[in-house]
Amino acid sequence: MKVRIRRYDGQKEWWQDYEVDVKSSDTVLDVLNKIREKQDHTLAFRLSCQMGSCGSCGMVINGLPALACQTRISELKTDSIRIEPLYNYKVIKDLVVDLNEFVNKHRSVKPWIIRKNPEELEEAPIEFKVTPEQNLTFVQFDYCIMCGICLAACPTVAIDPLFLGPQALGQAYRYIADPRDEGFEERIDILDDSHGVWRCHFAGACSYVCPKGVDPAKAIQFLKKEILKYRLLHKKKAATKPAELVEKAPPPNAPKPPPFDFKFEGGV
Amino acid sequence: MGEDKKEKRYKTGLLRSLWPYNFNAERYSYTLHRITGVILALYLIAHVFEIYHFALGPVAWEQTIALLGSLGIWEKIGLWIIAGSALYHGANGLRLILNEVFGMLLGKPVLPEYPYTPTSLSRNQKIAIYVILAIVIALWIWAGLYLLEGLGII
Ligand code: SF4
Ligand code: FES
Repeated sequence: MKVRIRRYDGQKEWWQDYEVDVKSSDTVLDVLNKIREKQDHTLAFRLSCQMGSCGSCGMVINGLPALACQTRISELKTDSIRIEPLYNYKVIKDLVVDLNEFVNKHRSVKPWIIRKNPEELEEAPIEFKVTPEQNLTFVQFDYCIMCGICLAACPTVAIDPLFLGPQALGQAYRYIADPRDEGFEERIDILDDSHGVWRCHFAGACSYVCPKGVDPAKAIQFLKKEILKYRLLHKKKAATKPAELVEKAPPPNAPKPPPFDFKFEGGV
Repeated sequence: MGEDKKEKRYKTGLLRSLWPYNFNAERYSYTLHRITGVILALYLIAHVFEIYHFALGPVAWEQTIALLGSLGIWEKIGLWIIAGSALYHGANGLRLILNEVFGMLLGKPVLPEYPYTPTSLSRNQKIAIYVILAIVIALWIWAGLYLLEGLGII
C-alpha cells in the first residue's frame, strides 16, 4: 500500500512516499510503526497506549483528523493513505505538533472543582452526594482524553489561534455542569470573552471527529445558554442542582487483615 | 524548546476555515452562513450608500436609479444573489438561535457508547438543515422567477 506522509525536519517540508505491506487488521499506527522499524527511522510521531485512551497519536488521515491507533486501514476504503500533522498547530517534526498552547487553553478554564469554601474539599467529615442522574449531565464531557483533534477540525481555530477551542470550552462546561462545582462566576470572564465561547458558530466539526464521543459542540452550545441566562436573567448554573453535602460515613470497623507473610522460595 | 519549531501553523487560515470538504453537513452550512453573511454586509453598505442619495434630493436619486438601471440584467442577478443570501442566512440563523440560545436540537448529555454518534449532529439537526435548505431553494427559485418577470422575460 502506498503511504504518503507530510514530513518536516525543522527547515523544510516535503511529502514522502512509502510502500508498505499491510494486513487488513492493521491500524494506521501499525503502518507508521512498520515504516519506522523497517524503512525510515527518522520518521517522528507520537504514540503511547495504542488503544485510543492516551490521545497521543492524533493526526490527519486522508484529510480527516483522527487517532492513528483507532483507524483501521480496512475502514479507510482507499488504496493509498495520506498522513499529515494536525491542522492549525505548529509542527515540531513530521507528525509531532506543539501542544503547549492547547494545554494552556485547557488550564485557563480552571478544569477542576471549585468550592467557595475550599476547605470543603479537604475537610474530612464532609462528602458530596452525586446521584446517577446528576452524573449523567456531565460524564460525557469527562471522557475527553485531550488528544487535540477537535482543534484541528475547528474552522474558528483556523482563523483565531487564540480561540479557546472546543476542548477547553467543553471541559469548562463539564465542570460548570458538575453539581459539586461553584466556580461558574470565576470562569465566566474567561469564557465570555472575545476569544471565548462566542467565537463558536457551531460548525460541529469537533463533535464529528472526536474519537471519544465527547460531543464538545453540544457542551459549547449549553455553555452559551448558561452564560446568557446568567447575563440576562441573573440565573446561575441551572444546568444541574447542586450536590448535597453529606456526612462521611465512619470507616467500617472491619477486623484488620493479618500481616502479609512473604517468603521467597526458589532460586534466582 | 522551539528553536527548530515551525512558527507557521500547518494548514490554517481563512480559506481553510471555509473549506468543509470531508466534514459534516453542519460545517458546510457554517461555510454558507459565513459567505452569505459577508454578501449581506457588503449589500448593507451599498444599500446605505444608495439611500444616502435619496436624501440628497430628487436629481441625485434619479441619477442613482439610472445608474442601477444601466446595469441591466446584472442588477437582477445581483439582487437574486442577495435574496438567496438573505433567505439562507435568515433561515439558518434561526436554527443557530435554537441551538445556541435555547440549547435545542442538540439532544441531552449521554453516556458515550461505541460507535460514538454525537447527538448534536444527529437526526433533529440534520432534518433542520435539510428542511431549511429545501425551503430556501424553493423561495430562491420563486424570487428568481419574480425578478425575471420584472425584466419582462417571462
Ligand atoms: S473533546 Fe474529543 S477530540 Fe477534543 S481533545 Fe477531547 S477527546 Fe480529543
Ligand atoms: S496511542 Fe494512545 S490514543 Fe493512540
